[in-house]
Amino acid sequence: MEGKIIVVTSGKGGVGKTTATSSIGAALALEGKRVAIVDMDIGLRNLDVVMGLENRIVFNIVDVVQGRCKIDQAAIRDRRIDNLFLIPASQSDNKDVLTTSGVERVCNDLRKKFDYVLMDSPAGIEKGFQNSIVGANEALVVCTPDVSAVRDADRVIGLLYARSLEPRLIVNRIEPSRVERGEMLSHEDVMEVLSIELAGLVPMDEKVLISSNTGTPLVLQNESKAGQAFRRIAKRLNGETDVPIEIPTHKTSMWNKISKTFGLK
Amino acid sequence: MLQGLLKRFTGQKNSKEEAKKRLQFSLIYDKLEVNDTTLTDLQNDIVDVISKYFEIDRDSLELKVKRDDDVSALVFNTPILHVKRKQA
Ligand SMILES: Nc1ncnc2c1ncn2[C@@H]1O[C@H](COP(=O)(O)OP(=O)(O)OP(=O)(O)O)[C@@H](O)[C@H]1O
Ligand SMILES: [Mg+2]
Repeated sequence: MEGKIIVVTSGKGGVGKTTATSSIGAALALEGKRVAIVDMDIGLRNLDVVMGLENRIVFNIVDVVQGRCKIDQAAIRDRRIDNLFLIPASQSDNKDVLTTSGVERVCNDLRKKFDYVLMDSPAGIEKGFQNSIVGANEALVVCTPDVSAVRDADRVIGLLYARSLEPRLIVNRIEPSRVERGEMLSHEDVMEVLSIELAGLVPMDEKVLISSNTGTPLVLQNESKAGQAFRRIAKRLNGETDVPIEIPTHKTSMWNKISKTFGLK
Repeated sequence: MLQGLLKRFTGQKNSKEEAKKRLQFSLIYDKLEVNDTTLTDLQNDIVDVISKYFEIDRDSLELKVKRDDDVSALVFNTPILHVKRKQA
């Protein structure tokens, strides 16, 4: 059976595509699937450092598309998580070096070798984005709860629909206490504006930076709320549709309410 | 609820409400702006329909997108020259 290619994209930069791609990819591998994560951000590679694999790069996706090496030669095996592979971007090439037809051909080969292939799209809607979606069977759109990110997400959703992809949404960096205070759009607000299906909700979490500092998988940290949110997203993508979408809560606020009720505060 | 009360006392507007309104507005406007040909097509279709009933001055009509704080509207303005006789 052929695998699935899932593109992770956003329009706006810095909203968490790379974080989401590496975490969901790692989580799918933990579910026992054979997973390749492809960095499509040519010229600005990041996935390798986020995943802690930067010292092991030999070939990259440009080498694969241009026929200088085989997929197996470019795919770096993660030593901590079985069945997880990274195909890095090249750092030196021009961002528009890849042809859409070349990428499409490699995508067809990737589908034969892996259960899931995750494409980490660059920001923007230009060629790098087009190359990231050309082989995709499914799409995840990441946005943060702010006006510009949601507006850009809407634009990208339109472009994905035009290519017959039905994207699902990840709202990242939710801060429950600010949502509670009415300072931040809630996920319901975002859903209402964008009207697409939800893939998951990911809270703001200090552990994200720490895990990227050290290049260790976020999803292996049981105390990381974001890591756990990505694991649930992966489970649902992998067909466990009964795993509920958890709404990030402000834990201490619950505690505050209880303490207030009992006159402890 | 508590938030609502607080708001009433302090007279402070929730910034997220404003964010949501601005978003809803800009998304509609983005789509209207993106496609100039859509607007022209729409204008031609409207003219065709109205011309069945009225004789209008094609040169002085205008189709505009009007933006207000809360709503955006499509405004179509045309002088009517004659009312056409209904054909049986
Ligand atoms: N849930 C989160 N909580 C806290 N920090 C986060 C979260 N998600 C992402 N970040 C941080 O936000 C920054 C941008 O994230 P990331 O690199 O994943 O975004 P991106 O969309 O891939 O950016 P680019 O468009 O540049 O490729 C990083 O420093 C990352 O650590
Ligand atoms: Mg990135």
